[in-house]
Amino acid sequence: MNFWYFLTALTLLSASMVILSKNPIHSVLYLVFTFFCISGHYVLLNAQFLMAVNIVVYAGAIMVLFLFVIMMMDLSKNSPDSKSTLTKLAGAILGGTLLVILIAASRKVDLKDVKPIDAQTGMVEGLGQILYRDYVLPFELVSILFFVAMVGAVMLGKREAGERNF
Amino acid sequence: MNAIIALSLFGISNLFLGFLNNRKILLPATLVFILIALGLNFADWNHEYYWFNNMLKTNNLSVNFVTIILLSTFLVVAISRSFGDDDEHSHPAEYYAILLFSAVGAIMMVTFENLIMLFVGLEILSVSMYVLTGSDKRSLRSNEAALKYFLMGSFATGILLFGVALVYGATSSFDIHGIAQGVAKAKEQMGGAYGPLLYSGVILIMVGLLFKISAAPFHFWTPDVYDGAPSIFTAFMSTVVKTAGVAATYRILSISFPSVYGLWGNPLVYIVCATLIIGNITAVYQQSFKRMLAYSSISHAGYLLITVLAKRPETNSSLLFYSLAYAIATITAFAVLMVVSEAQAKNGKADESFEALNGLANNNPLLAFSLTISMLSLAGIPLTAGFFGKFFVFSDAFSNPSSLFKWILVIAILMSTVGIYYYFKPIIAAYMKKGEVAKIELSPLYKFILILTTTLTILLGLAPDLVKNIF
Amino acid sequence: MEITSTLFTAKAIYVGIIFAITLGVAAYSTYFERIIAAFMQDRVGPDRAGPFGILQPLADAVKMFMKEDFIPANSNKWLFIAGPCLSMLTALMTSAVVPFGDQLDLGDGIILDLQGIDVNIGILWVFGIVSLGVYGVLIGGWASNNKYSLIGAIRAASQNISYELAMGLSIIAILMLSGSLSTKSIVETQQNGHWNILYQPLGFVIFLVCAFAECNRTPFDLPECETELIGGYHTEYSSMKLGFYLFSEYINMFISGAVMATLYFGGYDYLFNDYVAQISWLGEYAYNVSALLGLVVLIVKALIFVFIFMWVRWTLPRFRYDQLMGLGWTGLIPLAMFNVVLTGASMLFTVNDGGSNWMTVGASWAGVIIMLVVTFAYSEMKYKKKKLATA
Repeated sequence: MNFWYFLTALTLLSASMVILSKNPIHSVLYLVFTFFCISGHYVLLNAQFLMAVNIVVYAGAIMVLFLFVIMMMDLSKNSPDSKSTLTKLAGAILGGTLLVILIAASRKVDLKDVKPIDAQTGMVEGLGQILYRDYVLPFELVSILFFVAMVGAVMLGKREAGERNF
Repeated sequence: MNAIIALSLFGISNLFLGFLNNRKILLPATLVFILIALGLNFADWNHEYYWFNNMLKTNNLSVNFVTIILLSTFLVVAISRSFGDDDEHSHPAEYYAILLFSAVGAIMMVTFENLIMLFVGLEILSVSMYVLTGSDKRSLRSNEAALKYFLMGSFATGILLFGVALVYGATSSFDIHGIAQGVAKAKEQMGGAYGPLLYSGVILIMVGLLFKISAAPFHFWTPDVYDGAPSIFTAFMSTVVKTAGVAATYRILSISFPSVYGLWGNPLVYIVCATLIIGNITAVYQQSFKRMLAYSSISHAGYLLITVLAKRPETNSSLLFYSLAYAIATITAFAVLMVVSEAQAKNGKADESFEALNGLANNNPLLAFSLTISMLSLAGIPLTAGFFGKFFVFSDAFSNPSSLFKWILVIAILMSTVGIYYYFKPIIAAYMKKGEVAKIELSPLYKFILILTTTLTILLGLAPDLVKNIF
Repeated sequence: MEITSTLFTAKAIYVGIIFAITLGVAAYSTYFERIIAAFMQDRVGPDRAGPFGILQPLADAVKMFMKEDFIPANSNKWLFIAGPCLSMLTALMTSAVVPFGDQLDLGDGIILDLQGIDVNIGILWVFGIVSLGVYGVLIGGWASNNKYSLIGAIRAASQNISYELAMGLSIIAILMLSGSLSTKSIVETQQNGHWNILYQPLGFVIFLVCAFAECNRTPFDLPECETELIGGYHTEYSSMKLGFYLFSEYINMFISGAVMATLYFGGYDYLFNDYVAQISWLGEYAYNVSALLGLVVLIVKALIFVFIFMWVRWTLPRFRYDQLMGLGWTGLIPLAMFNVVLTGASMLFTVNDGGSNWMTVGASWAGVIIMLVVTFAYSEMKYKKKKLATA
């Protein structure tokens, strides 16, 4: 339990560093670190498969692409802040209100119905059973989603004659 | 369900057809595909059936919604003549394929029985729309619109997903009937109060869905995106996406959360009023026809949401009728807008302002007449489908015992009269204003679609029971 | 309590030994690389430090430590230091799940697994760590504040991501055969000569090529292509920080050799495990001798792969960048998918066949033959086209 507190504190700290750090590269690296912390939480919940997949997919592939693009664009130059103080204030108030509501909601949660965790919960076998039996239809239809995204990315990314280069 | 499988396969075959170097075949093939899917859809008529471990449910209501979606898709595809022939750099096969895939997403949103299906369907529809919004790569506005839509849309989906997670936490179910039971159980345990998780969850789900149907105050993306996207995809967005979104909202709120009406009903009242007022009042000030249609779509979202609020079994049919009338009229308007704005193009940029329509009736009587009928229908003038759409919606609201609905009704009727003002602007421009629009050559299919939609609008305006009885 | 603490000590000693072996192998790989290069190019190679130059790695290490440790101005200092450290860390972490041997019986009922951790997602662990390996290069290259370093880093990132896909797909066929993600059970299904290479020749070829690419070894060493990029991502590095980068490459070679031996060559299986475990004159030690022999065999197998890495380095030229991407995306990924389908289909048809996998064997080798025929036909066609075009 103590380790859980430590990990949670680390997660929150690195997650807030993502949005607080000025340098986008640092933000990405903190985000990678956040993913590691979340993977740690998965391990604590006995979900090793999710842990590994989280690292492979998010930390290993997606964030590398993020870094890749940010490094190519060289965003380290300080761009002037485009938001007015009023916008910032409004955003802060709205976000803060949502935070307060969510914290209040989760504080009042009644946990007596929660099933205790059993050793097989996060194992690959259990996950496979659920994914390929109960949720087979959404699992298959997600392929349509990826397909659309892929076709769209290729279509939008292709350079064409007469296209303006911004 | 059959339509989902068929359309997924057809989408892929469409991409393969794109390899053929023969673009003429794409449009008819896509139309045939949609018609086949429409036919397969009716196989579920009068069968109430749960598919794949309660992931989807088909019944007559869902068949009706799917029919409206596929009909709108069919009409939109039919008027999409422009990417077939002249522009050698566009990707017609991809456009058609993505349109078919997005229809899959829309069908999932009106038949879902499990929140996972809702999420996947919504994502398929949204991702397709992000891509299609930015498909005009040479236009800066299209790029900007796509980025804006993508960023805001993904936040909205994230909020929806967060809401789903919280509702799962409160009721330990993803199944919409299971959630209803969980809500009832929780209510019993707490002596009539709602759990705080449920409260936040329902609100967040509602926010996510209302963003997609562009209800105020989640409408800020709508004008820019509708304006920036190529007109053909704007037509798709303002019909199919809106129908699917309203249907999904209606489905989840009326099946899962009827016992906690106060929880979502009270905020929704304000949202409906705000949507009606903002949509209609802002539309008055627009100079661009396309932008006006964008605001009009916001206001129609308000009318559609009244049926969600009214929460009675009969509202099914008024929701369906309104969606149908709105979809047909909007597609007609966009069909006219597309040809006219291209004919009036200045410096290679399509002119989408009201001035482009000046004197349209002189040389193009069919276009002007179709435009008039569609505008009358959108405004809700008698003898058009739109009148009966509004009539059914208002009578639903009126027959509700709650006094709140009287006030909503007052605002709605007031705003309808405001609507008449700006819907008459294009008609006045077409018939009264001085101007010259050269004779526009229309393909036989295009003419057929215009005549079909106009006839349907008038027919439904004369005899609404033709369709109303089916619904 | 007593048992656990003994086991813990034993495990710690085991981990220490593996660590030492890894570092030692990596250090002497540098020596052997130069010896092999010399042999292939008909030269003498290092022969000054000690007999046959056997102390050369030591001399290299001393040189590395003595050099000036330079950090360029305007570079991001922390990230500049973090780069090589991350490379080293990720290179060393993979060996945690590789089963270097069977079990050792330490008496008193204490059984020591010759494996760091036996998690049930073992192969995904390898995969996760490998996918993180690119961070060291990427961060170091960016933090150097040098164009060439950055380009090298970006090349490394795109190359690693592209080849990871084919690698993952080729592993899937293995997972289908063994029905488990755990490296230990993958090895156990291959005991007594049922090595996966017999069932998965195509998968092995794909995996081998991807392993070359993941280790940034020739012919995939585009990230450090001297002719174009000076030194690539480690242009600005000197002293032991450079040493870490080079060292991690050799460690990666050794570990990927061990992983390939585990996945495709039976792991610690040397065909006579059971026989050795029952030799009577060894008495109670027979089992442990068998296990230790397995450990040695696995390391030898890994070393053979290290030799292949070097052999390829000194015989093949480097790819051009578009060729590299073309091979990864249009060559290996479709092939790997084909392999998955082939394996799945053959397993489907042999499911009632009482465990014999001849169908799988046949299908897989047929797949290899088809692949070779198609490749040759394609290159022949291309060659003819080229000839036509030039004629």
